[in-house]
Amino acid sequence: MAVAAAVTKPERTLTDNPARSLSVAAAALALVSGHCVAQTQPGEGMVAVKYLDYLDSQPGADRVRVKARSVMAIVPVSQDWSFAATNTVDAISGASPAYHTAALSKLTDLRSAQDLSVTRFFTNGTVAAGVSFSREADYLSRASSLQMTHLSEDRNTTWNAGVSHTSDVVDPVNRAVKGERKRVNDFLVGWTRVLTRNDLVQVNLGKSYGQGYFSDPYKVFDNRPTTRNSTTLLGRWNHHLEETQSTVRWGYRWFGDNWGVRAHTATLEWVQPLPGAWTVSPSVRLYSQKKADFYIDADTTGSPFPPNPPDDALVFSQDQRLSSFGAVTLGFKVSRQLGSGWTADVKLERYAQRSRWYAGGDGSPGLAPFNARSVQVGLSKSF
Amino acid sequence: MASACEIVVCSESEAHANTCAQAAVKEVHRIEAKYSRYIAESVVGRINASAGISPVACDDETCKLLEFADSLYRTSGGLFDITAGVLNQAWDFKAQKIPSDSEIAEALKLVGWHAVERSGSTIKLPKVGIQLDFGGFGKEYAADRAAQVLQELGVSHGYVNLAGDMAFVGPKPDGSPWTIGIQHPRQTGAVIATMPMVAGGLASSGDYERYFEAGGVRYCHILRPDTGRPVSYWQSISVIAPSTAAAGAYSTTAMLMESEALEFLESSGLNYLAIDRQGQPYHSNASLVSEVKLNHANH
Repeated sequence: MAVAAAVTKPERTLTDNPARSLSVAAAALALVSGHCVAQTQPGEGMVAVKYLDYLDSQPGADRVRVKARSVMAIVPVSQDWSFAATNTVDAISGASPAYHTAALSKLTDLRSAQDLSVTRFFTNGTVAAGVSFSREADYLSRASSLQMTHLSEDRNTTWNAGVSHTSDVVDPVNRAVKGERKRVNDFLVGWTRVLTRNDLVQVNLGKSYGQGYFSDPYKVFDNRPTTRNSTTLLGRWNHHLEETQSTVRWGYRWFGDNWGVRAHTATLEWVQPLPGAWTVSPSVRLYSQKKADFYIDADTTGSPFPPNPPDDALVFSQDQRLSSFGAVTLGFKVSRQLGSGWTADVKLERYAQRSRWYAGGDGSPGLAPFNARSVQVGLSKSF
Repeated sequence: MASACEIVVCSESEAHANTCAQAAVKEVHRIEAKYSRYIAESVVGRINASAGISPVACDDETCKLLEFADSLYRTSGGLFDITAGVLNQAWDFKAQKIPSDSEIAEALKLVGWHAVERSGSTIKLPKVGIQLDFGGFGKEYAADRAAQVLQELGVSHGYVNLAGDMAFVGPKPDGSPWTIGIQHPRQTGAVIATMPMVAGGLASSGDYERYFEAGGVRYCHILRPDTGRPVSYWQSISVIAPSTAAAGAYSTTAMLMESEALEFLESSGLNYLAIDRQGQPYHSNASLVSEVKLNHANH
């Protein structure tokens, strides 16, 4: 007859470190299951380079450190519970089955109704695919894109390439046209390199091929070509000055298309950190544009009626955005770090456009000066 | 298992991933069928049916699980008791009724692991009405077993998530960890904290799984085997341990220990997150987190 092993009800004490004996018990169980691994985390974080922002994650390397405010997250592995607001959760641990389905479906619904993108991370780069959709009363736009980045072994160089296709439908409320379509294919290749510990350069080349309806239906005389092909060349140089802890950003962009528009943009920004977690960034942007071939000069003699296009003109536009002009933008941004990765900033910009500022000669006549002021307020979080 | 479960497997081919996931699912179903107290032919069903009648012989796996339950009982000072499932009959969470003292006392008569007779590989429940319930660690054990099946099939990236009890096989394919959110104990759809995980187990225990509120007091489904009443000290406790079974054991025991939980969790040396009844989080080092920022699901 078997003798039952009776266990008396134990006293409730913690003097003999029950936690340790509990872990021994769990280990014993693990021998059955075999699934028992040491709790280790990988040593290195993951690096993603987005555009000009570059965050160094290689221990011991001497590199420029630029704060990244990026949608492509760089998550260093930590052993700590994170209480910061986060948008990306892969799974949820919780006691309630009822909450899982609801919580998960809400959490995966992070993307807005209009944009969806998926990024796949590899050791040396990324591939991202996206679709977007937007609808306004008179304009429907659908776009899809594919982008790739590739990092060199030493993480100093990044190549990026992208292609996108946009399909728009224009249905102006004045019914000047109906259901006009426009399709644009864009291609971009770029190269970014960390030259020295204080210098970062980037060159981008873009080509765009568009066909369809480009005219502005709300303008009286506006009939533009049915194709628009353009080339853009962009160069950037970020230089960090150690003595003042500031960063100088130079940029130049050249634009040319088959409408005859030629434009140059030069930008200069100085980012200066100040004591007390403040940063000020004055900036200046110079712009000069040569008009489209089919642009019709403004002529106020027949005012208020706009001038007729020339009799033999097949395409024409009086949109002053296609005229010859120059523009200067002066900007001043103040930002402050609020703690826990939050940054608040205010940017003031003053834009002035004058035909006579056209760098290549005489600007388009008869156009009034155009000024604009803008204020931008931003709040961002980095993690 | 009536709750949402998922198995995530990363592999070079979809076919291979599917095969592995299916094998893991099969293992989970096997354990569920073997130890569910709702199935008469299961091991637990047969043991319970023989209560007060005769001993039941157990196989190797069952013996090891009973050993585990026994050590849980001892080291928790009797708080973790797999015979305490009968208390759920006194507490009707659907009817939202608070049982009377005599109803609780009646149910408590059937609670007590110390009275269960075990010898060699047999077990006998001494009185009719005494019931075993593996619910306190069954899911966690199943998660560990499913993860082991995946590892044996060569999977090195993925995890098993059985209604919030998680076993990790390995990080994402690029080496980065899985970001695991801890369900906010009071806000549906919100996450109170996150933790990057690549290996081991993560289990959570909370007072929000099944409960009702009466007179401003919450009565949850975690019942103490000494008083027969629900615990109320913590809203939720999550623990990370080398295995999910261990993680679940610690989190449930800590919930039952109430005011003594922090000392218990600290001495274990494991990474834990405990949210007290005011909603304040405590984690490893038992320090009250000075800034509490709630996660908001962006929806």
